This record gives sequence, C-alpha cells and structure tokens, in this order.
Amino acid sequence: MNEITQLKAIIVDDEAHARALIREYLMQHSDIQVVAECANGFEAVKAASELKPDLLFLDIQMPKLDGFEVLDLIGRDAASVIFTTAYDEYALRAFDVHAVDYLLKPFGAERFDEALELARVRIRKRDALPIRELLDTHREGAAIDRVLIRNRSNVHVIPVEQIDYVEAQDDYVSIRAAGRSYLKEQTLGELEAQLAGKGFLRIHRRYVLNVSRLAKIELSEKDSRIAILNDKTELPISRSGYTKLRGLL
Amino acid sequence: MHPILANARQLGMYLLAYLPIGIVLVIGLGHRDAWGTAAAFFLPLTMLYAFIGLSAYYLCLAFPISSDQPVWRAVPAHMSAAACVGALCVGAAWLWAAVLESLNIGLQPQVFIEQPWLLFVVGAVLFWLAIALHYVLIASSASQRSEQRALESGLLAREAELKALRAQIDPHFLFNSLNSISALTGSDPPSARKMCLLLADFLRDTLRLGATQRISLREELSVVQRYLAIEQVRLGARLKVDCAASEPAGGGYLPALLLQPLVENAVLHGIAHLIDGGTVTIGAERQGAALLIRVSNPSDPARPRRPRAGLGLLLVRQRLQSEYGAAGQLHTREEQGEFVAEVSLPFTEKEEAADE
Repeated sequence: MNEITQLKAIIVDDEAHARALIREYLMQHSDIQVVAECANGFEAVKAASELKPDLLFLDIQMPKLDGFEVLDLIGRDAASVIFTTAYDEYALRAFDVHAVDYLLKPFGAERFDEALELARVRIRKRDALPIRELLDTHREGAAIDRVLIRNRSNVHVIPVEQIDYVEAQDDYVSIRAAGRSYLKEQTLGELEAQLAGKGFLRIHRRYVLNVSRLAKIELSEKDSRIAILNDKTELPISRSGYTKLRGLL
Repeated sequence: MHPILANARQLGMYLLAYLPIGIVLVIGLGHRDAWGTAAAFFLPLTMLYAFIGLSAYYLCLAFPISSDQPVWRAVPAHMSAAACVGALCVGAAWLWAAVLESLNIGLQPQVFIEQPWLLFVVGAVLFWLAIALHYVLIASSASQRSEQRALESGLLAREAELKALRAQIDPHFLFNSLNSISALTGSDPPSARKMCLLLADFLRDTLRLGATQRISLREELSVVQRYLAIEQVRLGARLKVDCAASEPAGGGYLPALLLQPLVENAVLHGIAHLIDGGTVTIGAERQGAALLIRVSNPSDPARPRRPRAGLGLLLVRQRLQSEYGAAGQLHTREEQGEFVAEVSLPFTEKEEAADE
C-alpha cells in the first residue's frame, strides 16, 4: 500500500487539558483523523459503537465507566487502543502482564510517537488486544458489584443487588432485574464466577438465583423441585442445586 | 566476647604491637654472647603476657569510668590486679626457665630469674598500661556506636517522614497535575506557570508540615485551598469550592494535614465521577469543648469503584485515634447522592504536643 490510509481516532479523557495535549501531538501525524472527543465512559461507548474507530486513546479513571469497563463494553469496536493513565498500579500490572503498551502521564511527543507507531503496526497486522485476559488480570478474581450491559450505543449499569436471577440463553445470559430483562453476551459460568460471594447460587444448569429473592421451595410431581420467588416467578431447581440450596439455608 | 579476640586481624595487630616490647627486653637484659637464650626466654613470655593483658578489658568493664563513678574508685582493684599479674609473670618466667633448661639444648636462662622483683615490676606496670589502653578502646567504640545509632535513628525518622509524605500526596494527583502543566505549556503558558507555582506552594506546605505537628484550622484550610486550586485547573468548571469556618473554629488546633485526605477524597471519589461536577463544601464550628469539621460533596452512587478506596479515611481515623483517643472521631455517610465526612476533636487553642 503506497497511499496513506487515514485512521479514525477517538480521544477519551475526562480532563480537557489532557485531550488537548493528545490533539496537539497528533497534529504531527496527518494520517490520523480525530473523529470524536469523549469526557466520560458512556460517551466513549456510544462514540466507539457508532464510529468504529481504528484507534482509541483511553484514560483509565473517568466518570461513569472506567477505561477497563469501556474496553469490556466496546469489545472489538475499536481496532486498537492506547491506554493513558497518570498512576494506577493495578492497571499497570495488568498491562505489563499482557505486554500491552500504555502512556504514562505526563508523556512527551517522542514517547507518544513511539506508542502511535506500535498501534499502527497492530492495526495493519490486525493484531487484536487480549481483552478478556486483560480484564481478568485487572479484576484479580474480585467479585463485581455491577453488571454492565450495552444495548447498541446505550449502556445500562445494573448493581448486582438489583438482580433477581440470571438465565442462560445460548451464547447470552438474560439478566432479570427491577422488572426488566437485559441480554448480555457472556456465558452463565463466567457471570456466576464474577458474582461469587454476592449471595448468588447456581440452582440449575440454566439458572443463577439471587438467594435473597427466594420465597419458598415447592415439590412438583416426580420429585423435582421449583423455586418460587418473591414476585411469584417459578424457576426449576436441579438435584445438585437443591443440595447446595439446602446447605445454604 | 573481647572485641580484639572477636576479630582475627585485630588480634594479629595486637600481638604484633607486643613484639617491640619483647625485643626491648631481649636487647636490654640479654648478653652479647647469648642472644638466642634471651630471645627464647623473653619472646614467648611476651606473647603469653599479651593474652594476660587482654584480661584488663573485663576489669575495665567491671569498673566503668563515668561521671558518677570516678576513676579513683577503681584504683585499689587495678592495683591488686596489677600485683597479681606481676606475680603471675614471675611464676611464668620461673616455669619457662625450668622448661628451657630441661630441654638440654644449651640454653641457660636462669640468669633472667635471678631478679624476680624486676620481672614483677615490669609485669605490673605494663598491666597498668593495658588497663589505660582498654579504657580508651571502650570509650572510642562506645562513641562510635552512639554515632551509628544517631545516624540510624536519623535515617529512620527521615524514612518515616517520606512515608508520611507519600501517603499524603496521591501520586495520581501529582502526575495528573504535571500532565496538565505539560498540556498548558503549549496552549496557555501563563496558566502553566500559575499551576507550577500552585503545585510548588502545595508541595512546600506538605513537606514543611511534619506528621507530628499541630497547626490551626485556619492554616490547614489554606493548605487545603491550595490543593483545591490545583484541582480546579485540572477539572475546570466541574469543581466548585465553598469553604467557610466560623471565627472561633479557625483558631482551633488540629494535627497538620488531617483534613487534606478528606478533601482529596471529595474530589477524587466525588466530583471527578460527576460529568457536570459539583461543589466541595467545607464547614467548621466550635461546639463547647469540641471542634467540628464537615466536608461534603455530591457523589455518584453507581461510580466505578477504585481499588484501595477508603485508605485515606482509614488513615485519618488512625491519626485521630492516636492523637485524641476516643475524643477524636470521624463519621462518614453517603446518602441520596451526597457524601459527608464529619470530624470531631477536642478544641484546643494552642499548639499542644500530644504525648508530652
């Protein structure tokens, strides 16, 4: 390819000065076109899903969603990501573990150009970020306290204590919370692991229940059991699920 | 253990120092035609004496010289010890002469023990010298030790100070501020300079105010306002400040930089998470014998949690506890999108050290 490919970039940082600095450094690079600037996580998810940028400059600490949560939600909508952070031991460790490049604020034009060149190479080689591994290392096995769901360009934040139960549906999970259902692309086992220690229990191959929502257990015909929730919803309980539930109650 | 015996190199040098004494004895008391006899007699005895001399160390330890134990009190003990050593010298010389003679190799050292009183005096006087040398040795190693201790404790104090400083200044704040300066340098140089100066003033305050010092609330609030001015450059219009302390409260004293972490929390975990920002409100009043300070800020209950959040509050609580015991309290609550931290501590009007 001899012609210069234009790359679409989005700058995400809650500080106007920090965004301006990246814009200033980018003036030396005519192949990069800034298509959006975002000041918080919600805007970033919306812009990334609508504009499908080649490159995302992503700050870690921001209102609404932090950089890792943004990454989790946009998935492969951005071809390449350059993280920027002032100081965050946990984030830096995750980056180092997975050999992901990042910019430490304050950074100079030289270091910026270097990071940009690395990103160009990744984009050209279609070399994708190890998103799942990065998120897992950063979370360090700690339970989540909210579930994030993207519905096209909108983001729903569901605090885990609002979840009644989760149902597996092929490659998705359906999360029932506050009278509504939300679909999220995730396996039930994965979500179950993230909710460990938050009062949830796998009562059936296809269901994870918030135990505090359980009203009673009823015996249906053929010695199988049904969980009746406070809102009268009925969920099946498997034999092993019943054993675990009895151990808990 | 004896410090000279503990170190082989030192022991070697110590024994070497006795060699001239042995040579003097050989030359002074030997005969022109019997140098061999004199050397065989005096040199081993000198080496033996060197070891006897080491025992002066324990005598010096038993009778230390200090202001309440003057040296003359030890004189009788030293004199009797010297007499014993003198007698020991005579006995050892007599025994060694008998041994050399019985070897039948032509040595006749009997001539040297014909004047036992001379051996006695030499042994006793040299022992006094050994005692004097040991006092010097003990004094110099004690001063070395105390010097080392002073150096070590100085280092420890410095380290504690640096640790306190690291805890006070959030690296995230520092590096973000530097990044703002870097950004402003290109777009708005006067603002960049202003921010540099603000940051310098704030760092100077933090360095100057040790962790043990107490300052007036008025002073503390001026440090806090410097901090907030820096964050206002960084966060722009998102951060507003309302700081008011009633007059009697402003004169009350508190541990330096006690409020700083609370205000930092209000910005970092409060305002920085709000898209439109909000106001950090600081108020203080005197209520009878107590000083009440309140820091509040709007907050987003659904904010992404940062690891180690709450460490700042824990440190403030520990500090209040160690300075005032049960009289120092920190209460926090978060409801309806507002976070409130309330400190109460005994009202004191001057700088009073906590533990003295």
